[in-house]
Amino acid sequence: MPASHVFVILRREYRVRLRTRAFWISTFGFPLLALLIVTLPVLLLTRSTTSHRLVVVDTTGHVAPLLLERLAEREREGRRGARFEITLAAAEPDAAAQHDALDARVLGQQIDAWLRIDSEGLAHNRVEYRSDNVSNLLTQQLLEVELSGAVRRARLQEAGYDETAVDPLVRSVRLESVRVSAQGSRVQGGQAQFFLAYALAFLLYAVLAIYGAQVMNGVLEEKNSHVVELVLSTVRPLDLMAGKLIGIGLVGLTQLAIWIGLLLLVIGPLGAGALGGRLPNVELPVLDAGLALHFFALFVVGYFLYASFYAAIGAASSNLQEAQQLAFVAVFVLLASFMLFLPVVNDPDSTLSVTASLIPLFSPLVMMLRISVKTPPAWQIALSYALALGFVAFMVWTCARIYRIGILMHGKRPTLRELWRWARTP
Amino acid sequence: MPPGLELRDLTKSYDGFRAVDRLSLAVASGSVFGLLGPNGAGKTTTLRMILNIVAPDAGQVLLHGHPLRPEDGARIGYLPEERGLYKRMSVFDHLVFLGELRGLGRREARRRVGPWLERLDLARRARSRVEELSKGMQQKVQLAAALLHEPELLILDEPFTGLDPLNQSLFMDLLLEYRRDGRTILFSTHVLEQAEKLCDDIGLIRDGQSILIGALEDLKRRFASRRYRLVAQGDVARLDAVDAVERWRKTDDAVELVLRPQVPGPALLRELVDFLEVVEFRPQEATLEEIFVDAVRDAG
Repeated sequence: MPASHVFVILRREYRVRLRTRAFWISTFGFPLLALLIVTLPVLLLTRSTTSHRLVVVDTTGHVAPLLLERLAEREREGRRGARFEITLAAAEPDAAAQHDALDARVLGQQIDAWLRIDSEGLAHNRVEYRSDNVSNLLTQQLLEVELSGAVRRARLQEAGYDETAVDPLVRSVRLESVRVSAQGSRVQGGQAQFFLAYALAFLLYAVLAIYGAQVMNGVLEEKNSHVVELVLSTVRPLDLMAGKLIGIGLVGLTQLAIWIGLLLLVIGPLGAGALGGRLPNVELPVLDAGLALHFFALFVVGYFLYASFYAAIGAASSNLQEAQQLAFVAVFVLLASFMLFLPVVNDPDSTLSVTASLIPLFSPLVMMLRISVKTPPAWQIALSYALALGFVAFMVWTCARIYRIGILMHGKRPTLRELWRWARTP
Repeated sequence: MPPGLELRDLTKSYDGFRAVDRLSLAVASGSVFGLLGPNGAGKTTTLRMILNIVAPDAGQVLLHGHPLRPEDGARIGYLPEERGLYKRMSVFDHLVFLGELRGLGRREARRRVGPWLERLDLARRARSRVEELSKGMQQKVQLAAALLHEPELLILDEPFTGLDPLNQSLFMDLLLEYRRDGRTILFSTHVLEQAEKLCDDIGLIRDGQSILIGALEDLKRRFASRRYRLVAQGDVARLDAVDAVERWRKTDDAVELVLRPQVPGPALLRELVDFLEVVEFRPQEATLEEIFVDAVRDAG
């Protein structure tokens, strides 16, 4: 039983691409790389036990011992982070000479840094940290926290307060974000959800750009190798384009499905158990079925929108260089919608967010972002899909007409006017 | 019985340039038709219109008397001039793919590929990627693709270009065998030697217009009547002054001359004997190349 042309073509596209090493390397290599990029620095930093040789010159005489006390407490509790090897130095009468001598010891690598705590600086809440490396932000942050604690303790003692009584009174509070949704409420870290939205938007952006380019390259290959002439002797151009778009789109869906599966493994119960313990203070986001469904649906909408454009570009160009110049338009629009990430995530109901999520060129990415941070009103989701689908139909129709004529054209690049004429040719 | 393929007033223009201009011809079922013409004559555009790759501006293509329909693609085999295949596909998969596009079921296509690869001496390369094959081998894969679904009509655009003599002969044998099965072949070429060996009929086109169409044997006779071989002693240079002689040239042992139209051979002979001692004077059969050159020149 002969299969339809569209099916035969899409099966070829799908199989040929799935059989390439590049597909499997990118499918598993990309998440692995992303995982490493996210977790490795954190793991390495939190496990770092570098001993930081620090000289403390304390002219007040009572902050440094408190600092030592706090750092010792830290050590006893086994908390992770940098360790300090502190030497207390008495303030010398010639402050400038001591300053120079300690700087020289830093430069001579005898110590890593030195601090000068004096009442003048403390009056302005300042302590000078001098080192030949000031980019060790985590070490400085830790020192800053402990030093602040020590200074606070010293000030309370000086003012005659009982520190143990005051301490609980001045603790900071933490905002615990609870996401309220139709499915129920749950405690959810804002940061975690922010990163999930970012990851999904980036994935969508990447696959739309990558698979759009694959369509364009595929069309160009067919055109330049002249195999298209052989295929078109039995297949209508529209069937060829449809088969190609669907086949490559299915490859993209397969890759996305694997990625989402892996993401669920990492942030799901299995991964959370394995990773949660190892990454202190790392809260994992929640990817629910509804969001995953929207993600795939918006990929399909966005893919047909951009891929049909890429197909027309491939058909209208004679070589890769020409095609890439035209493809810049698509990349620019995609990038523009990705740039809307921060304003949309921060305020998903703003006029900007709502408008952008209704404009078909932006809606796949922007609507996905909106849904991932806060479910928008149903009518907005429906309108966004409807407008995008209508625009997809228009794009596919127009691009198919350009494709039909361009695929057999060789030589000079068509002008915009010529492309418009092709699109209007019945 | 209607012809296997008929073109009626086929016309196609590109941006005001008329590539094919009211071209009409008929190819009898079970015959081989050679479409000849210089580069840019409109041969490829004509074939593309027959294959529905480009739509004609006017005119009709009839297959066995019926206007061509999109699904007729499965009844036609095609070897394009620009040999293109998907480079990263294996030979076997590629042939199955093209077979399926031409209406074969997947299983049937897979069954047919093997014998064709054997026949074309490509069986050992079935799993090779197309890009690993030589150009000649790729051309054989394309011929197999054109024949795999056993089409009624075979269209070949410059089929012998780029083939070594051994493969030329293999192609020739296959095509003759194909014709013996009663199938129809239309091919374009500028290698006249092959056309002469294969064709029953030829059509010469130039600037998209037909300038000569007919059975090869008839054309040979028609053009032969003006072409003579002369062996003679005396001052052959005086042929320049003979009105009845359109042109002449000396070969190793003889003179080849072409008479002006409507001049009978015996009349010229009577003139020649006045200044030459004629040893031999007989009509020659024209080669296709001569017909081609004459026809193109006569068409102005």
